[in-house]
Amino acid sequence: MGGSPGGPIDTKGHEVEDWERLADAISSALGARGLYSTDEHRRAIESLKNYRDLSYYERWVAATEILLVEKGVLTGDEIGERTAEIELRWGGP
Amino acid sequence: MSDHHPHEETTRSPYAARIRAIEALLLEKDVLTEPEVQDGISYMEARSPANGAKLVARAWLDDEFKTLLLSDGKAAATALNMEPAHPAEFVVVENTPTIHNLIVCTLCSCYPRAILGRPPDWYKSFEYRSRAVREPRAVMREFGFEPPEDVEVLVHDSTADVRYMVLPMRPSGTEDLDEQELARLVTRDALVGVSVPLAPDPPIPADA
Amino acid sequence: MTYRPGDRVRILSSKKPGHVRTPGYLKGKSGWIEAMIGPFPSPEDLAYGLSGLPERTLYKVGFKQADLWEDYQGPAEDILYADVYEHWLQPGEGGTA
Repeated sequence: MGGSPGGPIDTKGHEVEDWERLADAISSALGARGLYSTDEHRRAIESLKNYRDLSYYERWVAATEILLVEKGVLTGDEIGERTAEIELRWGGP
Repeated sequence: MSDHHPHEETTRSPYAARIRAIEALLLEKDVLTEPEVQDGISYMEARSPANGAKLVARAWLDDEFKTLLLSDGKAAATALNMEPAHPAEFVVVENTPTIHNLIVCTLCSCYPRAILGRPPDWYKSFEYRSRAVREPRAVMREFGFEPPEDVEVLVHDSTADVRYMVLPMRPSGTEDLDEQELARLVTRDALVGVSVPLAPDPPIPADA
Repeated sequence: MTYRPGDRVRILSSKKPGHVRTPGYLKGKSGWIEAMIGPFPSPEDLAYGLSGLPERTLYKVGFKQADLWEDYQGPAEDILYADVYEHWLQPGEGGTA
């Protein structure tokens, strides 16, 4: 990444959304519980094949899921099912 | 390619529902408790660039504090009740008339979150991470700042367990300002090093 | 080995796969030890749930920007620092300071 060519920097930011705050908090809480480390989280982010297509917190959530499944805390299926339920409640994805 | 697209009202990321699902499952299975999640949210909300501005303003006014800030950043932050609990080291680097510092994390976006809170979007962008190490002066120009040619630019790539913050130079014409007024001049951009603190408001002329 | 401030060092060019904290742009480059930061568990091991022990020494390493980039736009004095683990360093040309 460092030293690669790059375009102009977008100096505006976006307002942090609630789900992003939650992604941050869940990651910290899992870290505080010793369920995974920052280094594992970074490794999981780096492993994402669609790294460049995701926003910063999207990568966080994807990495959190990878680690929770890897460690047998949750399964991909139950996360997928619950996500679908929530999206339905919200009126469709 | 821009790292982040601003979310419009109508376009919600599919990851929003995903993290809510993860949260619900973790709570149901007692992997986490509600208070822990809330603490995680409060922790970040309590941290902001205002903390950095306070550290800088205090250092400008108090030489002993400045020495502490530059030798043991966490101790200085603790002295001002900022509770920098994160295990990473916190190191403050000083700008001088001949040195200007710039902070980046090319590998991800390491940032002194335990003091300053979340980093700005641009800090996390591919553009900043790739260009800050190679063309720091051009990057600073995009933020409206140009260090003179006789000033050395030192880029710090936070590749490991140290998080960096810049101690900018105190702007001239600020002799009469108190700590709070000084802190207001210290922007987040100045703490990362892409810019410098604001100049003090010009004094209102007596006959205005 | 233990390095001291001023020692010339060269970053290894290793293509070690997986999680590494030595950026690609520094591999094979020469610089100097600016400071010893201290011992930490290795993040490359922590990333896979290992203990990261024994701890590795982390160093602040300085490089002249002109030595990193052929087309560097700026004065010869501009410097880049990165924090690099001991196992990514080897003694550089010119020996110790």
